[in-house]
This record gives sequence, structure tokens and C-alpha cells, in this order.
Amino acid sequence: MTVSNDRPMQAEPTESALRNALRRREAPEGFADRVWARVAEPDSRKPIGTRRESWLRIFAVPLARWAAAAAVCVALVVGGIYYRNVQRERAQGEAAKQQLILALRIAGSKLQVAKSKIHQINANRVATDQSESHEEKE
Amino acid sequence: MSMRKITKWLLTLLAFTVTARAQDVKIPPDVEKLSAKAKETVEVTMDGPMLRWASKFLSADDPDEKKAAKLVADLKGIYVRSYEFDKEGEYSAAEVEALRSQVRGPGWSKVVGVRSVREGDVDVFFKLQDDKMAGIVIISAEPKELTIVNIVGPLDLDQLADLGGEFGIPKLDRKTLPKPQLKAQGEQK
Repeated sequence: MTVSNDRPMQAEPTESALRNALRRREAPEGFADRVWARVAEPDSRKPIGTRRESWLRIFAVPLARWAAAAAVCVALVVGGIYYRNVQRERAQGEAAKQQLILALRIAGSKLQVAKSKIHQINANRVATDQSESHEEKE
Repeated sequence: MSMRKITKWLLTLLAFTVTARAQDVKIPPDVEKLSAKAKETVEVTMDGPMLRWASKFLSADDPDEKKAAKLVADLKGIYVRSYEFDKEGEYSAAEVEALRSQVRGPGWSKVVGVRSVREGDVDVFFKLQDDKMAGIVIISAEPKELTIVNIVGPLDLDQLADLGGEFGIPKLDRKTLPKPQLKAQGEQK
């Protein structure tokens, strides 16, 4: 089998087919008018607003409206109770803290009293000892 | 008696025993009644869980409160009764003696005992367990004021000294505090 030149054997028919396919053709009659007419037509797809309305349409049912209102009320009541409990617990904790500080304050002050009395006793003893030793020397 | 009732009684008895053990020193009912005669009364009863809970509210940003939280971390209870009267002689010596007699038993050491006719008496008792402080009781019987402080739990001298100086209390000089082992007692009449 021999191959002529550097082109494949079927190159010529393909090239002619391409040339045929890419040949300039005139647009069919009224093409431009039809395009402009389509452009002027409203969009057939559903707008976003319409799509949102679809799930909101559930509230059109009265029962759903009541259920939603009841859910909101329950959430508010539960939230209120929880908030009040937190506030109450915090107030009780602060009161307990004040009690603890008061207890420490009283304990500290009474120890301070004991300490000062010991100081006083020691000072009196030292003074007595010194006067006694001074009298003995004399 | 049903099994349920027996269990209930046993649980009550157990709870009472645990509370009594935790407090160790019980305030006599006669002393508790003094609040009716007192001009001012301070009654603080804080057991272990209550202390833990109260200490949660001590601010970590405040250095004094931070120290206090550390101080009470290992304590099992703090019990304070303080009664201030308008006139002298509103409480009897027997009521104070009933308190003192509770801390004369084994395990207790009287480290301070000051007697003053004019200023009143102050007694400080330490509870020792394995040569470590396990509690402190302060009984201050002044002519117009009676104060009982009972702190239960491990409390070494450093912690004790830290009790002073907090929240505006003058700092307690640790060196001047007698050591529990010495049983130093100052008597003044």
C-alpha cells in the first residue's frame, strides 16, 4: 500500500464536507422578527418572589397559623421562665457570696481581737518583768 | 412498719449523722434562742456544697475574692452566730460553757484563752488531725456580744493568717499567732 504525499487518503472528502457545512447561508424568512418577538415575551420561569410564597402558603391554613402563634407563645414563656431562673440563681449566689464574706470578716475580726489581747498580755508581762528586775538590781 | 418507711427513717438518720459530723460543734438550742433578745443577729450556716456554690460567685478578677475562693476551697463548712445586745447579761455563762465543753474533747486544742472582766473572754480552739489543722472554733463572749465561729475543714496556719486582711480586715500577723502544738494560753482577769 502506498500513501501519496503527506495527506491521508480521505482528506479530500472531509475538507469538502466542512466547506459545505460552513458555507454561508441566508437566514430563513422572518428569523429576526421571531427573535425580537421572543425577547419581548415575559420570562416563562417563576420569579423568586413567587417561589418564596410557595412555602408561606402553608399559613393560609388557619390551623397552621394558630400552631405557629402557639409555638411563639410557648417559646416566649419558656424563655422568660429560664431567664427568671437564671436571674434568681444569680441573686441567690450573690447573697451566698455576701454571707461567706461576712462569715470570713467576723472570723477575721475575732481572731484580730484575740491577737490584740495576746499582745496586750505580753506587753503587760514584759513591763512587769522589767520593773521586777529593775527593783532587784536596786 | 413498711419497708419504705424504714428506708425513709434510715436515710433521715444518715443525713442527720452526716450533717452532725460535718458541723462537729453544735450550737446549743439556748444559744440559738438568743436571737430573740439580740439587737443584731448574724447567722451564717454554710456547709461544703453551699461553700462551693457561693465561692463560684467570687470574682476571679478581684484579688481579695480570688484569695477567699482559694481559702474556702477545701473547707467543709463555716458556721457563724453573732448576737449583739442592748444591755449586759443577756446570755448566761452556762450557755457559753455548754459550747466550750464541746471543744474540750480529744482532738481539740485550746490555743488562746483570754479572760477579761471588762472586755470579755475570747477562746480559740484548733481541731487537729494527723498534726494538721482540721478546724477552728472561736468563742468570743463580750459583755454585750456573743460570737461563735466554727470553721470545719483543713486549714493550715497560712490560710488562717489569710483570713485577716481580706475585705478590709486588718492583716493578722502570723508570727504572733500561737502554734497549735504549743497550746499557749494567755489568762487575764
